[in-house]
Amino acid sequence: MKAFDIAFKDLTRSFRSAFAVVFMFGVPLLVTGMFYFMFGNIASNGEFTLPKTKVVIANLDEGGPKFQVNPKNIPGGKKADTMGDLIVNILQSEDMADLIEVTLVPDAETARSSVDNQINQVAIIIPSDFSHQFADVDGKAVIEFYQDPTLTLGPAIMRSILNRFMDGMAGVKIAVNVFLDEADSSEAMLTGQVVQQYLKVSLSENENVEEELLDVRAPSSGEIDKETETQNLLLNIIGPIMGGMMVFYAYFTGTSTAQSILREEEERTLPRLFTTPTSQTTILAGKFLSVFMTVGVQVFVLLVSAHFLFKIQWGDYLSVILMSAGIIFSASSFGIFVNSFLKNTKQGGVLFGGVLTVTGMIGMIKIFAMNSPIAAKMGDTISLLVPQGWAIRGLMQAMNSEPINEILITMLASLLWSAVFFAVGVWRFNKRYT
Amino acid sequence: MINVPAIAVLGLHKSFGGNQAVQGVNFEVKQGEIFSLLGPNGAGKTTTISMLSCLLRPDEGDAHVMGHSIRSDPTGVKSVLGVVPQDLALYEDLTARENLSFWGKMYGLRGSKLKLRVDEVLEVIGLRDRANERVNKYSGGMKRRVNIGVALLHKPKVIYMDEPTVGIDPQSRRNILDSVVALKNEGMTVLYTTHYMEEAQELSDHVAIMDHGKLIACGTHEELVKLVGQQTRIDLTLNGDSENVMGAWKNIDGVSRVSSEDGLVSVLVKDSNQILPHLFEAAAQLSIRITSVDIREPNLEALFLHLTGRALRD
Ligand SMILES: Nc1ncnc2c1ncn2[C@@H]1O[C@H](COP(=O)(O)OP(=O)(O)OP(=O)(O)O)[C@@H](O)[C@H]1O
Ligand SMILES: [Mg+2]
Repeated sequence: MKAFDIAFKDLTRSFRSAFAVVFMFGVPLLVTGMFYFMFGNIASNGEFTLPKTKVVIANLDEGGPKFQVNPKNIPGGKKADTMGDLIVNILQSEDMADLIEVTLVPDAETARSSVDNQINQVAIIIPSDFSHQFADVDGKAVIEFYQDPTLTLGPAIMRSILNRFMDGMAGVKIAVNVFLDEADSSEAMLTGQVVQQYLKVSLSENENVEEELLDVRAPSSGEIDKETETQNLLLNIIGPIMGGMMVFYAYFTGTSTAQSILREEEERTLPRLFTTPTSQTTILAGKFLSVFMTVGVQVFVLLVSAHFLFKIQWGDYLSVILMSAGIIFSASSFGIFVNSFLKNTKQGGVLFGGVLTVTGMIGMIKIFAMNSPIAAKMGDTISLLVPQGWAIRGLMQAMNSEPINEILITMLASLLWSAVFFAVGVWRFNKRYT
Repeated sequence: MINVPAIAVLGLHKSFGGNQAVQGVNFEVKQGEIFSLLGPNGAGKTTTISMLSCLLRPDEGDAHVMGHSIRSDPTGVKSVLGVVPQDLALYEDLTARENLSFWGKMYGLRGSKLKLRVDEVLEVIGLRDRANERVNKYSGGMKRRVNIGVALLHKPKVIYMDEPTVGIDPQSRRNILDSVVALKNEGMTVLYTTHYMEEAQELSDHVAIMDHGKLIACGTHEELVKLVGQQTRIDLTLNGDSENVMGAWKNIDGVSRVSSEDGLVSVLVKDSNQILPHLFEAAAQLSIRITSVDIREPNLEALFLHLTGRALRD
């Protein structure tokens, strides 16, 4: 009971401190909000109003023997005789009209030069044997993706659309081959991304190619919900950023709340607590409890407000509960752990500036590297060296609706980190005060 | 319980590294009295209080508070004890009421009983009308009063107050001294530390004088003053070299001690009326002018000077 009194007292103090509230809720929501408005000006009319990307398409596809698609299932309902036509139709469909402006040209050279002359931003060249290769078991269906290297946002959106397209064609061997005007390192990563995407798609075998393809591109309603589409594109970026912010600042809160043990030592209230008929175990339990409760409130508030502010879908309830538990326990116990090594709060600067920032950044590599698969793959491994990495992993898994047992494993890993941190932290604090 | 001493201190020792902060302190505080530990900075008062409130483990010795040993029954000690620490120990971002309420819970009070006690204590410390303001908005004196209030919540049998009047305005100081007497009148035992001689003199039934970790005298005010042999202290400032004149004064019959500190020469005498002319005479012979004279009737300060050769105030 007294432990709860101590925890509630701490909670009151935390939420009364403007500084703490700003860092717990303000900063993570604000940073995410910035990205949100950067990627889509939702505020004005509730719609996604990016400047349109100008795309030029040279569809040279001559068709293949096995390709048949029911026109009713194609967005826009147009007839598509070849795979190339299908892509053109999709890109020309009304649903895409808000995002891209498509021009058709008869040959590859015209397409490329219109990008070179900055008339268009992206050229998509569908080769003559595209359908053929697509149908061939050993064939390689390759789209040429040619972009103005000085631009990032427009082409990035195009890439995103094509990637989604390929995702939808799971099991279909298709790749976008990126040709670059200039080879610089960031563009090289871009190539890597496409290659990886290709590998991913071609590795996941699927028998029923057409059904899969059409299922995704043309939902049962027969029409793609434009708002959902743009929202999804936006949220592919915003969701992970918000998640990363949440984990980063949950650790921040865990550490600064646990630091209140040292602060109370310096404010002399901790020694005073020791003069009351309250056992050391109860006092420390109260202090630890307050860390878990504060981080818990923070994560809960951030999850809910990000859901309503940015429409982020965190996943189903069970996944969200599991991943939140992972974040809350690891962030809190991490805070207790690191603070148990400090002599006083003056050393706290090192903690926030160094340990917390560095481990937090490492944990978030995956999110920063979202657009470059090579870095992402590396980051995936490196980020798991820090507890934040596991917390973020659980979060992404929940968002991507991965199987619950996968999330459970990640959460157990987080709990293992937590258990070790907590045990060491408790042991050290106990020793300190006896 | 009736006959045990409120506090019995038996040979407490505590060192910090090579620094022997408390070196074998013994004293006894009767139930219902105000007992002062008087001593200059660094004398070891706070260290003694910390051991008596089970915050510091003594190197040697033991103490009993209402019969509970600080070594073997710290929980028993804490339950009869209220501690007012020397440094403010409050949550400054909480209001006075919230502070009292929280600390009340730590002393095991709950519900309506807690609420009632918080109101009573707010009345005692005179902060009822400003109870809902945050402590960091208070003046130093008001904070001190809340600091004291916290220790009163559970109506402890014994209360320690470690220099509760340091650095505050005269009005708050008066308020605090009055409340200490009020506590005594309610039957509480008060262990009070201070380096203000006047406070010890005014409040205490018994005074122990502490210096360099040792008790150098202990008793009632009258008993202690008698130790100086009813001597009067004469403080003088001189214009010129004091060395020779101090030597001359030491030889005057009826002067028991001459010492100097910071340009102030202190002379302990049996009868100031009789000795004062001789002091002037001796000074005149050495062509030294006496620029000020301050006569102090016997008090604890004189005793401290008598025992240590140093002034209590520094
Ligand atoms: N935690 C500590 N670590 C090291 N030395 C200490 C510690 N606490 C006290 N001391 C030393 O012990 C001696 C006694 O200190 P103490 O605080 O008990 O004196 P005090 O009588 O309360 O003085 P004041 O009137 O200034 O409060 C001093 O020399 C002090 O430096
Ligand atoms: Mg002290």
